[in-house]
Amino acid sequence: MTAEATSLRRDGTGEPSVHARRGIDTTIVGVLLFIASETMFFSGLFAAYFNARATHPDWPPQGIELEPLIASILTIVLVTSSVTMQLGVRAIRRGDRAGLQRWLAITLLLGAAFVAGQLYDYSTLDFSWQSGIYGAAFFTLTGFHGAHVTGGVIALAAMLFRANEGHFSARHHAAVEGVSAYWHFVDVIWLLLFSTLYVLR
Amino acid sequence: MTTATLAPVAVRTRTSWLEWLTTTDHKKIGQLYLVSSLVFFVIGGIQALGIRSQLAAPDMTLVDPETYNEFFTIHGTTMIFLFAMPILSGLANFVVPLQIGAIDMAFPRINALSFWLVPVGGLLIYSSYAAGGAAIGWTGYVPLSTGGAGGQNFGPGLGTGVDLWIMGLTVLGFSSILGAINFLATIFRMRAPGMRMFRLPIFVWTVLVTQSLALFAIPVFTTALVLLFIDRNFTGGAFLNPANGGSAILWQHMFWFFGHPEVYIMILPAMGIISEVVPVFSRKPLFGYHAFVGATIAIGLLAFGVWAHHMFATGLVYLPFFSFLTGAIGVPTGIKFFNWLATMWRGKLRFSTPMLFAIGFLAFFLIGGLDGALLAAVPFDYDVTDTYWVVSHLHYVLFGGTVFAVFAGIYYWFPKMYGRFLDERIGKWHWLLTAIGVNVAFFPQHLLGLEGMPRRIATYSADTPWAPLNLLSTIGAFTIALSVLLFVVNVVVTFRRPLEPVPDDPWDGNTLEWATTSPPPPHNFDRLPPIRSSRPVFDEKYPELAERAASAGAAR
Amino acid sequence: MIALAATSLAVAACSAAYPPAGATDQGRDIHSLYSWILIPAIVIFVLVEGLLVWSVIRYRRRDDDALPPQIEGNRRLEILWTVIPAIVVLAVFGLSMETLGTVDAKSADPAVVVDVAGHQWYWDFRYEKEGIDVSGAGQRPELVLPTGRTIRFNLSSGDVIHSFYMPAFLFKRDVIPGVTNTFEITIDDPGTYAGQCAEFCGLGHADMKYAIRAVSAAEYDAWVAQQQAAPSGSPPTSPSPSAGGSAAPAGATLEVSASTPTSFEQSSLETAAGQAFTIHFTNKEAGVPHNVAIRDSAGDVLAKTEIATGPADASVSVPALGAGTYTFFCQVHPNMQGTLTVK
Ligand code: HEA
Ligand code: HEA
Ligand code: CUA
Ligand SMILES: [Cu+2]
Repeated sequence: MTAEATSLRRDGTGEPSVHARRGIDTTIVGVLLFIASETMFFSGLFAAYFNARATHPDWPPQGIELEPLIASILTIVLVTSSVTMQLGVRAIRRGDRAGLQRWLAITLLLGAAFVAGQLYDYSTLDFSWQSGIYGAAFFTLTGFHGAHVTGGVIALAAMLFRANEGHFSARHHAAVEGVSAYWHFVDVIWLLLFSTLYVLR
Repeated sequence: MTTATLAPVAVRTRTSWLEWLTTTDHKKIGQLYLVSSLVFFVIGGIQALGIRSQLAAPDMTLVDPETYNEFFTIHGTTMIFLFAMPILSGLANFVVPLQIGAIDMAFPRINALSFWLVPVGGLLIYSSYAAGGAAIGWTGYVPLSTGGAGGQNFGPGLGTGVDLWIMGLTVLGFSSILGAINFLATIFRMRAPGMRMFRLPIFVWTVLVTQSLALFAIPVFTTALVLLFIDRNFTGGAFLNPANGGSAILWQHMFWFFGHPEVYIMILPAMGIISEVVPVFSRKPLFGYHAFVGATIAIGLLAFGVWAHHMFATGLVYLPFFSFLTGAIGVPTGIKFFNWLATMWRGKLRFSTPMLFAIGFLAFFLIGGLDGALLAAVPFDYDVTDTYWVVSHLHYVLFGGTVFAVFAGIYYWFPKMYGRFLDERIGKWHWLLTAIGVNVAFFPQHLLGLEGMPRRIATYSADTPWAPLNLLSTIGAFTIALSVLLFVVNVVVTFRRPLEPVPDDPWDGNTLEWATTSPPPPHNFDRLPPIRSSRPVFDEKYPELAERAASAGAAR
Repeated sequence: MIALAATSLAVAACSAAYPPAGATDQGRDIHSLYSWILIPAIVIFVLVEGLLVWSVIRYRRRDDDALPPQIEGNRRLEILWTVIPAIVVLAVFGLSMETLGTVDAKSADPAVVVDVAGHQWYWDFRYEKEGIDVSGAGQRPELVLPTGRTIRFNLSSGDVIHSFYMPAFLFKRDVIPGVTNTFEITIDDPGTYAGQCAEFCGLGHADMKYAIRAVSAAEYDAWVAQQQAAPSGSPPTSPSPSAGGSAAPAGATLEVSASTPTSFEQSSLETAAGQAFTIHFTNKEAGVPHNVAIRDSAGDVLAKTEIATGPADASVSVPALGAGTYTFFCQVHPNMQGTLTVK
């Protein structure tokens, strides 16, 4: 979205004028609102998980083996990617587009690595989402998170493409800020998921 | 006093089909919403007539039970998700940018997407009829709706049709969430200079609170729908069907966590419309603007703490908490009622059709609201929950409330939209028939509820005492149908008539939409009056009064 | 005007605007709660509609020029109409919680305990202490209950959510799979009362009825003794699951058909004991769903066909049954039934 949030009209003077509002850019406001709604979506999923956990005394059920090692590595990957994303944002705030491109590329790779790693993790698990409530909950939660990461990777790719096309400057990079906010959000959700599934169990 | 600027754009060239399909103009999108919602209103209404015909007498076999069950499911789903919500979004789409002095919505293309998702969702929901039906009620309670999951067979009307219903609602959910983001960003970011938060027209305030509710409530419904879909198709009911280890009550919590805010999503903008119409036709400012804003916010907050009043009879919720907060909603709603009455008090009331519908709202929403307040008393709810008392309550608030306000809004803003007035004479007949029909159709349902008639029953036997009141209710339903027909006639007659240009400010209004031409140009405003209060257009018309009010305000 | 019409409608309806008096202690409490909270509701209704009608008549525009005084608000009034409704709300809440206390109260040792099982689409009752079963499969069950004694109900469901509704007692409680709900009543007035499922539970929801016959304690005891003396039919041997797998549907095929929603075209069927057989059901009634199900005298459903909306047919293979009398019935219309004799 490039909609520059300005009300372009003529006022009493008859002069066309652009009233750029101070404060956060409209695109970013949109992304933050979107993140709020996504938070509620994941809250629903977590509610379902904890409801299941509370109603099943044997939790995780016998015979469910997770792979904490892979998950921990994935956690490190995703947290790192948040850092690299933020470095990219700081670069473009300084007007350093080359820095943005570099950090975006690294973030993109880390994100892709997370998705690949999670798919690998799935392939090693010996339960599926059809093996009872634990499998259903595990795969639904991690699956929706993974889908969001994938969406984030696509958005990162779009940003990288636009940066390569010469878009973004110190003043105009709202889209990058928006994608960055979303990426951090996805990261936070993973941290909650990781604590829930692997630490709290 | 009214500036009779003749609209140069009033004699527009005819817009092409392609333009309607690709438009990102909030005014056109608003009109698209209106048309699609009204079509769905008629379709949903026709199913209601099917319901009412079947119930007109005991032991009827006009429609078989499976079809009956699909009728009330799709009737409820249509009226809520394809009529009430979108038509309010449509009015808000047209009005909000104008009222805040903006050129368009914050994200015009996303706005178009929001709209086009509505017919897509509607198509999915209606295709359920061709795929075995969806006979689960608009509330879709599990495990009935998990259907064949877990190796059980719960009967017909629970097959692929239910999957289509789920998909349709998910699509409509996306539409609403995107719409919510758009409205909120618009209201936060697109206000004209001088349009401070506490100068926003009340309608904009109600849209602001409504869209916040949508933003936080609808995603949870999406989650619930996703779980239901997964359960039906993949896990055999692991989340929601106790036969396979799931929880039957989880769905109800998630559904009503969304569902209760949902009902305020359908009433708050309606209250906003009333708060525009009543002051204009009383020629007074809204009494207690700040209290009204506060009450709106209070209702919005309370909306998230009362969902389990739909689950009193499950025996599985903490009753005092939910009962108390439910009753508490009567207080802010009462503030609004008394503000409206005080606005009319010592005013100069003009009974144009918009005002008549607003008065209908006050008279009938009150009945529905008091029904609701009684339902908050848990032991009484034990008796009448899942009976026709609840059916009566929901139609008084949704028809007596939302639909009356929607018609008030349509008659009020129609000249701004199309540069023509709807016919006042037909309009008054429309109003009269609606008012009679609604009461004849829905008042007897209270009594049926007290007599113990459960809702969602495909027929009843002659040894019950329910037949006469049901017949009365059916007669009322057909009266409403007649009134809807009159409305359609009104629209047709209005467009057939030669164009007489409408002035900018035909009703002697207060807010910014009346500062531009009727209809407005694509960029909305050629000039804006200065904005120093919530009534900029009024201030411009009556500068002496504006001065005095401003100095009084400063003195306070 | 219309408000006036509404008012008069409301007044006219007032006589009918009352639930039945409530034939139990708890129902009477709910009834009196309703009477109490209806008072503020009517007062508020009359007040608001009255102000509305008054404004409409008194303040209609007569001349067109001067603006009325532009009053923006009045702090004192606004506080008044916040505080008074708040008090009303608190009072109603207090009253309803007090009633709730008695309605939801549970005793240590109820005299009668009835286990209620909701099925699609019939009710089964089991008197826990007396060991009496009343099954609703294929019939409208009658629940015989004593007046003056505490009666506890334990509710459970094996399929979907139902709601056990006793309109004459102004009470219902949901019947939820995976949950056992409990409540108690004490009946005051003898009589026969209709009951019906109140939570939408699928196709046969409208037909999921039962009856309560409340009798004096003495009559109740007599009824119990009589039931215990003559256990309903000889307990059938439970169906022996055919060890060799269900692939061999050998044996006879019994034809059942229906063309009305009141009865099957056959009133009795016969088959040999110890032999699996097939039921072939033809639904000739267009647009109306039926099926055939078999239950034993304990009320357990042993086999059932799919529900077929006519014209259509459906079959089911039934495992071998022990000798005895069974009932076949339509689950959608439990009053459609006949006997199946296995010899
Ligand atoms: C527009 C939609 C809308 C609105 C605004 C409301 C408003 C309210 N509703 Fe309603 N409700 C529905 C739509 C709505 N409802 C629907 C669709 C259902 C059924 C769902 C289903 O199962 O299918 C339902 C069901 C429903 C139930 C569950 C019934 C059951 O199934 O057992 C309850 C229970 O508490 C309830 C309560 C209330 C209350 C307290 C209000 C309050 O907000 C009302 C407040 C208003 C007033 C009280 C009147 C004005 C106030 C005054 C004049 C001040 C003085 C008043 C007092 C002191 C009390 N509603
Ligand atoms: C905004 C919401 C809304 C609206 C407006 C309505 C409108 C109506 N409703 Fe609806 N209703 C619900 C929301 C709504 N309903 C909900 C949520 C439920 C619960 C569903 C559930 O249990 O799951 C419900 C359930 C419900 C029931 C209970 C069914 C049951 O429990 O078994 C009944 C029964 O009388 C009913 C009746 C009506 C009637 C007669 C109208 C009438 O007012 C309809 C009037 C409209 C028309 C009649 C339009 C027809 C127009 C024409 C015929 C003109 C033709 C014109 C042209 C061809 C151009 N409704
Ligand atoms: Cu059982 Cu409805
Ligand atoms: Cu509610």
